[in-house]
Amino acid sequence: MAVTIRRLEESDEVEDFDCGDEPLNNYLKRHAWTNQQKVSIGVTYVAADESAPHGVLGYFTLATSSAPRDRFPQKYVRGLPPYDLPLILLARLAVDKRFYGKGLGHALISEALKITVRVADEVGCRCIITDAYPDKAGWYARYGFLPLEGTTTIGPIRMFLDVRTIRRAMSQESSPAERE
Amino acid sequence: MPSSVKAESKKVTPLSAKTPSPRKLKFQADLAPSEDSMVRVLKAELQMTSNTDFLSDALALLRWAVSERKRGHHIVSESSTGVRKILLFPRLERVAPEVTLPHVDIQWTDKELESLAELASGQPAAPTNALIRAMRQ
Repeated sequence: MAVTIRRLEESDEVEDFDCGDEPLNNYLKRHAWTNQQKVSIGVTYVAADESAPHGVLGYFTLATSSAPRDRFPQKYVRGLPPYDLPLILLARLAVDKRFYGKGLGHALISEALKITVRVADEVGCRCIITDAYPDKAGWYARYGFLPLEGTTTIGPIRMFLDVRTIRRAMSQESSPAERE
Repeated sequence: MPSSVKAESKKVTPLSAKTPSPRKLKFQADLAPSEDSMVRVLKAELQMTSNTDFLSDALALLRWAVSERKRGHHIVSESSTGVRKILLFPRLERVAPEVTLPHVDIQWTDKELESLAELASGQPAAPTNALIRAMRQ
């Protein structure tokens, strides 16, 4: 299976997509295209098999956002520029159940993080934020996402990954144990 | 033979030796007959008589288009019935940012912002091996 990751197209066949989570299925089927093309509140990237290029195996959605610097505690603002903190929001990431265990989630987050670095290079952003389901927080933590304190005890956990950490990863070798 | 359009600069007499006028550039272009015809038609439509004014307006329009595309904005025409067309001009695409993402607002609690500020203002964490693998993929 040769997988490509590209922007969602209108002709993509999304109706059969099933990641096992109805809100994530529904977003792709009902809202992703509209949000991307008409109201411009999120860009969705899909993983597709080159042999069936319009079938969707997985997807993620990105948007830019910012955190209001004037609500940061004074003790932390000294190291930050005098503007709201620009960031990328990884709004959704899902893999179709039929393709679990094939490394698609890894490929999707890899592409999302590469786009994050490109955006940081071109227009500036400091970090990537995601709201992870509690049972998926461990998966994001493997990639270095750190939970923010103060998120609700039920529902998604807001997680943070510094762009500087991602940049450092681009220039480092993985350890021998991990490579095996 | 190609036609030629000249954007003539006016002769300027210096007012004094202390205030020299900025040097004006002469611009000369060889145009194919069809392009020369296009220039003449456009000048007539726009009620322009000088090539200098024509060039000046064309430059202003191109400069605006470049600045919009550099900001990631699309240049769109919309008909009276709402049919929209997006301008795709290869040279303009060269200045467009590679990735543009829309902006959304996030609702933050004070505690989340404090935690975010602490992480963002501190030293970045070392990358995990999974992250290193993801970025090398």
